Amino acid sequence: MKITQYLLRLYPRTWRERYEEEFLAMLEQRPISFLDGIDLFFGALDAQLHPHLGTTGMSLYERFVHMFATLRRSLLTIFCAYVGFILAGWAFQKMTEYDDFKEAAQTHSIVGLSFHLVVIGAVAALLAVLAGGLPIAVAVVRSALVQKRRGPLLLLATPILAFAIFLGTMFLLEAFHHPGNQHSPMGQMVLDRGLFFGTLIAAAIVSAGSVCFAVARSEISERLLHFAVLPSILATISMALILAATITWGLSLRDGAPQLFAGNNGIVGSSTIGTWLAIVIAMAIATVLAALSLMRGLSARSALRNVTV
Amino acid sequence: MDTLNLGRFSDPPILILASLAGSPKHGYAIMEDIETFAGVHLGPGTLYGAIARLETQGLIEPLPAEERRRPYRLTATGIAFLQEQLTSLETFASMGLQRLASI
Repeated sequence: MKITQYLLRLYPRTWRERYEEEFLAMLEQRPISFLDGIDLFFGALDAQLHPHLGTTGMSLYERFVHMFATLRRSLLTIFCAYVGFILAGWAFQKMTEYDDFKEAAQTHSIVGLSFHLVVIGAVAALLAVLAGGLPIAVAVVRSALVQKRRGPLLLLATPILAFAIFLGTMFLLEAFHHPGNQHSPMGQMVLDRGLFFGTLIAAAIVSAGSVCFAVARSEISERLLHFAVLPSILATISMALILAATITWGLSLRDGAPQLFAGNNGIVGSSTIGTWLAIVIAMAIATVLAALSLMRGLSARSALRNVTV
Repeated sequence: MDTLNLGRFSDPPILILASLAGSPKHGYAIMEDIETFAGVHLGPGTLYGAIARLETQGLIEPLPAEERRRPYRLTATGIAFLQEQLTSLETFASMGLQRLASI
């Protein structure tokens, strides 16, 4: 029964408020099998992707508020997925800076083509995020100025501050990095890398979180959210394109330049295969998250239109 | 239990509507009934996914809860919809039988 309750927690809150009690009563009469457990998992996924399910008991206004909040949350999740994707994309860009990879891209056409596709996808995703996000950021600033609230403005400024802290940390690492340091070379390397990746990931999390918090606490018009859906679709498609191109890049590198692929030319001297796999996994997680959020957002937008019509 | 291949009529929503055509039922009774008359086991996630959709579409409606269990019944729209679907199945079946008879 415990597993059932854990699985039920995967369902959206609105759905649980409406069906949980009778659902549990049904499951008490018939213990679930392993296949039923899988069915329950997919049922939860289905309910997450269709947020209008379970809202029949709500008033029109409550339904509107619920769908509006769901659409906003979905768009913000896509933004967070994009930030995570950027980190993986940045790792890919750093890895392919080495001359050996540039040479491979020139020698092997598929390696070169897939690399160009990654660049094209990155530009398209950035433009899409800017197109959808900038009007919302402007609305947050306007809303903060009208209501004379400094909080949202500070939250929007946080990414700049986080970036400055990241650059400051890099500067300090560079300044203290000299041969006469008391740490062993291995200890120094672990410290440097730990600080670098720790600061980078913390800066990304804090930046994405503060932007999301600012948007969630500001008055954003329904029109702006509707407008942001198309750029979100483009951003998600671009992420999927980059993911496919990155996978193709790795596979074609394995065939075209096996020694390079099997070498240690990954991030900070790690294995190329390991770095490539980690990048692909991170990109895949971010893309799946963005795609699921997009489906949920589209469903919420459709329900929102039905409520407002 | 043998599983009948009901094609598109094995869609969970149609099975649930057909089950409720007999009488109002709660979730567990619907599941049992469908297993009996169609030989199809609906998982709990599938069953409640379909119930939620049918309710949203106004094809079924909940009745007051009996302890923790909540029965559902067909609405007038649900009856008309099921009628249409079953008539379509009947037409399809009689056409198929006529063609078989001419072989």
